[in-house]
Parts: sequence; C-alpha cells; structure tokens
Amino acid sequence: MTSAIHTQGLSKDFGAGRGVFELDLDVRRGEILGFLGPNGSGKSTTMRLLLGLVRPTAGRAEVLGYDIRRDSLALRRRVGYLAGDFELYAQLDGAELLRYFARLHGGVAPSRIDELAERLGADLARPVRELSTGNRQKLGLIQALMSDPELLILDEPIAGLDPLVQHAFHAELMALRETGCTVFLSSHTLSEVDRVADRVAILRAGRLVVVDALEHLRAVAVRHWEIEFAHPVPAAEFRDLAGVHEVRIDGPRLSIAFEGTADAVVKAAAGHDVRAVDTRDGDLDEVFLRYYRDDP
Amino acid sequence: MIRAAMGMELRLRARMVILASLGLIAITAITGALFPAFGESLGGVDLPEGVSGLIGTGDFTTIAGWLNTEVVSVYGPLVVAGVGIVAAAATTAGEEEARILALVLAHPVDRTRLLVAKAAGVALPLVALGVAAWAGLALAVVLAGGGVGAGRLAAQALHLTGLALALASVALALGASTGRRSVATGGGATVAVLMFLVNGLAPTVAGLAWLRYLSAFHYYSGSEPLTTGVHVGDLAALLGFAAVLTLAAIGGFAGRDLRA
Repeated sequence: MTSAIHTQGLSKDFGAGRGVFELDLDVRRGEILGFLGPNGSGKSTTMRLLLGLVRPTAGRAEVLGYDIRRDSLALRRRVGYLAGDFELYAQLDGAELLRYFARLHGGVAPSRIDELAERLGADLARPVRELSTGNRQKLGLIQALMSDPELLILDEPIAGLDPLVQHAFHAELMALRETGCTVFLSSHTLSEVDRVADRVAILRAGRLVVVDALEHLRAVAVRHWEIEFAHPVPAAEFRDLAGVHEVRIDGPRLSIAFEGTADAVVKAAAGHDVRAVDTRDGDLDEVFLRYYRDDP
Repeated sequence: MIRAAMGMELRLRARMVILASLGLIAITAITGALFPAFGESLGGVDLPEGVSGLIGTGDFTTIAGWLNTEVVSVYGPLVVAGVGIVAAAATTAGEEEARILALVLAHPVDRTRLLVAKAAGVALPLVALGVAAWAGLALAVVLAGGGVGAGRLAAQALHLTGLALALASVALALGASTGRRSVATGGGATVAVLMFLVNGLAPTVAGLAWLRYLSAFHYYSGSEPLTTGVHVGDLAALLGFAAVLTLAAIGGFAGRDLRA
C-alpha cells in the first residue's frame, strides 16, 4: 500500500533561506504524524505544497497516491484541511458557511455537520463576526472533518480551543484513525502531540531533522536523574562516564544529566550506598528543544 | 461548484449593490425632476472643448442633453466603476488577503472554474446596476415631462453596463494576478481615471486624438447612445475588453502561489 504522503526532494525556495528544502517524508496510512518545528521552519509551507496552494520549486510529492501537481483536484476530494491562520466570511453564520464549504466539496451529509457541531459545541446560528477565536476554530475544524476524508492535514488545530473541546477533538481524531484516516498535524502544543501522535517529524530551517516514534526520541533524549547516597560521592567518578553531560554534587545528592543507556550510571552508583533515585525520563520539551536548536 | 461560488459572491455583494442601485435611481430621478426648473433657464452653455469632452456638451435645453451632462458623463460612470472595481478587487485578492481563499482552494475546486464563477458573481450585480440605471433614467424622463424613449434609455444603460464590466475586469485581472487588494483597487481606479481623462482631453491635443480609442469611455459614450441608441461595435469593444482581461485574470490566477 502506498504512503498517505510521500515526498521526494520536495522544495520550495522563497529566497533568503526561507522555505522547505529537499524534504523526503513518508506518512504511513492510518497513522497520526505530529509535524513539529519552530516558527518559520516550513511546516505550513509543506502543507500548502501538498494541497497545491503553492507550487514546488523542485522535487515531487504524492498524496494518497496522487501527484500533487498533476492530480491536485482528485487528491483534494479525499483530503480535509485546516489552515493555521485562517479567516472566514464574517457576515455568514456557521450553518451558511459550512453549507458553502460542503457544496464546494461536492456534498456532505447535513447530519454529519450537525454531529460534529454537537461534539465540538459549535454555535452554527451566530454570524462569524460575533464568534470568539475558539468558536471560529471549531468551524474551521468542522469544515475539515465533515467530508470524512482519508487524510486530514491540520495546521495548529487546537489553537484557541478550551481544554474540554481539545479533548473532544482529540477523541474525534482517535475515532477517525480507527476508521483508517491518516492525520498529518502540526502543533506547538507538545502535550497534544504526546497525546495523539504515533510518530513525529521535526523540521528546522526548512529541513527535516528527524522522523521517529516518540518513545524512540525519548529513549535517546537527555535524562535527568537525582541520586541520594548515604554519604557524599566523588563527582569525577560520574563525570567521565560515556554520555554524561552534567554532574552536580550537593552533599550526599548527585544530579546527573546523561543521554543513551543508563547502564554506566547505575553501575557507578551501585558502588556506593544508594538511598533513593529520582528519574525524569525523556522530558518532552527537552526532546523537542534538542532538535529545535541549531546544534542538536 | 460554480453555482455555489457564484452564489456566495452574490450573497457577499448584495448589500453594496442594492444600496448603490437605490442611490443611482434616486439621484438620477432627482436630476430629472430638476430639469424643468433649471434646464430651460440655463439653456445651452458653451463649455470649453476640454470640459465638454469630460462632462458632456452642456446642452441643457433638452432632457437628453441635461441627463447626458449630469448623469451619463460623470455620476453614472462613477457609481458603476466604483462598485465594479471594489467588487472585483474583493473577490479573489480580498479573500486571499483575508486568508479565506486557502480554505476554499483546499476543497476540490478548480482555480479556473472558481475564477469564472467569481467573475460571473461580479458581472451579474453590475448588470443589475445597469437595470437600476435604466430605471433611474426612465423615472427622470417621466419627472421631466418626457422626451427620450425607453429604448434610448435602455441603450444608455447597456453602454453603462459595458463600461462597468470593462473597468471591473481591470481590477479582476490585477487582483487575480497579484493577490493584492490594494493593487487591484488602486490600479483599477487609476486606469479608470486615466481612461476618463484621455477620452475627454486627447481630442483637444493635436496629434493625440487617436488616444481616445484606447479609452473604454470612448466606447461608452462616444456614440451618444442616449440620442442615437445602441452602437453594437462600441458595446462589443467594451465586452471584448472585459473578456480579454478576464482571460488574463484566469491565466494570472491559475499558475501562481497563494500569498496567504
């Protein structure tokens, strides 16, 4: 089976170092892939490239088996999209707006719109101009979800949503995944990615730096341990171990930051009288910041 | 899809077009009502050549001359050009700048078909505005005591509609090609004013009279439809100009990146 998204050397050069460069990415069918990166790293541009809103300067890509240049119309019939920074026709009410998008899409069952509106608590009777940011976001989400697409491309989907609605939206995503829907989702909310994503792809300065499962990224992330001994221990004993970044001694307490396996640290500690060990494994912020920085 | 997009365009512009139509009818009718009091007392005013080129002959002795100077030469074109340019600039460039167009085009919507639908959604209100102009002129003539037949008034309204379509197409092409509302509005208005001035003033400059043939206003009023009826060639020139620029809009829109 082909990937839901397959890009090969996909590039969009806006000049001055801005854009997306030589992107090789595979999003598997039925997975939720979190697409992460600092502001301006090229996440939205990648999504816009896939939908034909901007044209690549090099490379190629297929979405659901369709070439993004040649078969853009066909692929968009099977994709739902939420832009990261969108507006809606201010003078329309939610129901009018969604009816319009449904007609553009070639028809959507009104019952599906009502069902999504109920789940997300969207008010379809009020004019868009009177809605809060979060309530406008709900309309954006509904127009993306209502056609039951095979692929969802969502740029910052929970921006402005309250925690209850976020929860309802994530439940909807999970339910869609059960039906085989693929989700390609960008977010700055790391807890969201942690909650829903099967894998993450991290983009920095327009280039893909890693694609992997979260547990794998956590496994290689810097770990922070606090070990309490019966007596003070010599710092040098730990500082020279492989993978150790930092060692601090405060009386009988040792703070150590290291990456990779914990074997050497455990063995070194075992030579002393250990009272307690406090581990903070794979802090998510740490995982991402490592890749966001210029020199991971 | 075309009907949905065109319907949305009509929905979004309805208020502006209705207000502009009512205003056009009201001002034109009031102008007609003033003719008996002012027209005959003013009589014929011998305007300088450049001024008469811009605002009409200054013949106030007939209702046709009165309407030609007061409504046909300035007020009518001002209203239809304003509505046409604003609507055409809003339709793609406005939606693109407002960050609506990306959501629209993420649905299975062909850009060419969308632009045709939106162009039709701009054109239909301008036709409605032309009908309103005809209604206003008819009311004016009735209030003035008659003097111009309904057919001649329809001819003038038809030429006014042609002018509106031509000027709106300039803004449509600029907006669709650049995605910038300010370029579409400013460019459209600048072209309209330049064409107005060229049509009025070029004939007064030796050797430059031919420039008037580059102006849509020449094809709008050069044959004086209010007194001579429809001039098919001039009308075809206006509609042809609009069609060519709509094609340019399609070409400019189809192959470019969305800005937002």
